[in-house]
Amino acid sequence: MPGQAAERPEMTKATELTDDGLLGRMIAGDEEAFTLLYRRRHPSIYRFALHMSGNATIAEDVTQEVFMTLIRDPRRFDPARGTLGGFLFGIARNFLRKRWEQDRRLVALDGDANEIGEHSPNGSGSGASRNGLHANGKGFLVSASSDEFATRETISRVRSAVATLPENYREIVVLCDLEEMSYEEAASVLSCPVGTVRSRLHRARAILLEKLRDAQTARRVPVVRT
Amino acid sequence: MSEIEEMKSMSCAEFEEIVHDLDRPGTRGMALRERALAHAESCARCAQLLTETESLDQALHAIATTEGDQEAPAWMESALLREFRYAKVTAVSPNIGRHVAALGIAAAVLLAAGISLHRFAPGTKGNVPGQNMQANVSAPATAGESAQSASSAESASDFIALPYADDPDGSDGGTVVRVELSGPALASLGMPVSLAGSSGSISADLLVSDDGTPQAIRLVSQETAN
Repeated sequence: MPGQAAERPEMTKATELTDDGLLGRMIAGDEEAFTLLYRRRHPSIYRFALHMSGNATIAEDVTQEVFMTLIRDPRRFDPARGTLGGFLFGIARNFLRKRWEQDRRLVALDGDANEIGEHSPNGSGSGASRNGLHANGKGFLVSASSDEFATRETISRVRSAVATLPENYREIVVLCDLEEMSYEEAASVLSCPVGTVRSRLHRARAILLEKLRDAQTARRVPVVRT
Repeated sequence: MSEIEEMKSMSCAEFEEIVHDLDRPGTRGMALRERALAHAESCARCAQLLTETESLDQALHAIATTEGDQEAPAWMESALLREFRYAKVTAVSPNIGRHVAALGIAAAVLLAAGISLHRFAPGTKGNVPGQNMQANVSAPATAGESAQSASSAESASDFIALPYADDPDGSDGGTVVRVELSGPALASLGMPVSLAGSSGSISADLLVSDDGTPQAIRLVSQETAN
């Protein structure tokens, strides 16, 4: 069939398409476009749901529902109102809130927070030292040379503190700090002004610092910058 | 010297305002980073806040790094692809419902015609064509001949398109078939309730398309010959 030979270059091009381009193809029935879109977008949606719920099962449910919604009604997305990523995050937030209403125990407790780490292929807590991301022994993180366990514990404490933030603060930390979005990207996802994102993130981080201070005796050592 | 003094002129309030943005590209905090660091060197309280904030940044970044490759399980992609294929099939077949309904109507009409034929076939007791109004399924006539198909002793209404008809005016050809229909059968074809409620059978001409789907119906009343 001549069409088959002609399809291959198109498929290669599909990897270079924007989200909107892939969505257009998906609406036209292009299965590969949907696959590419899913592979491109689902990890961040899954992690967002995982961090927000602290539960891998809920994260799977939410991710599946987000893409089921996209399959069933792709024309709900209006490019004039934002990005496709923002649209998908919006669906995820709505599903999470529904789950919230169904199960008030969504706020991650210690066990739930650990569940996130257990699902990490690399295990939890070792990333800081592996990436040289250790503080100089004066903050919440201890130096890599002191005690790996303490480092892991610190990260676990931060993770737990994030999980116990109020929802609107937690999602901003998840988006801006864990998903490392810019303020503009987060504003698009949350459909709010950039200034709101910034002020909310600052407040969230202030709450985190308070929680961490409560959890650990403050080490009041002067900063030495190099 | 004066430049250093100017740098140190940052207030603690201003420092607190930007401390969470010192490493965030495109923000005011990053633009004022050097001034903020200079201020922290001369202010123990802000130095402590800076250290804590850096520790928090590093912990969050460590979490983002270690958990950044988390994604939904592989089965989800397969499940969503199945859903996508199913949605595609149903989306490209909007006429299936129409065809099912048309086939249902055709079956009802053919059943009625078959019963009439069986009851009033030649040799059947009491079958005297022309005397009994129920015994009439005419020889098929083409759509073009339909206007002449009602005899001078009959009066017929205009053809009324049946629900889901593709070609109610017979422009693509078709055949006119005389049938006797009961009230409920008429109701199923969308005819008026008063007729549908009739206890006896009613003569009607059906315009049947080439594919056997009834397209239109007209009622025939036979006037008694004097």
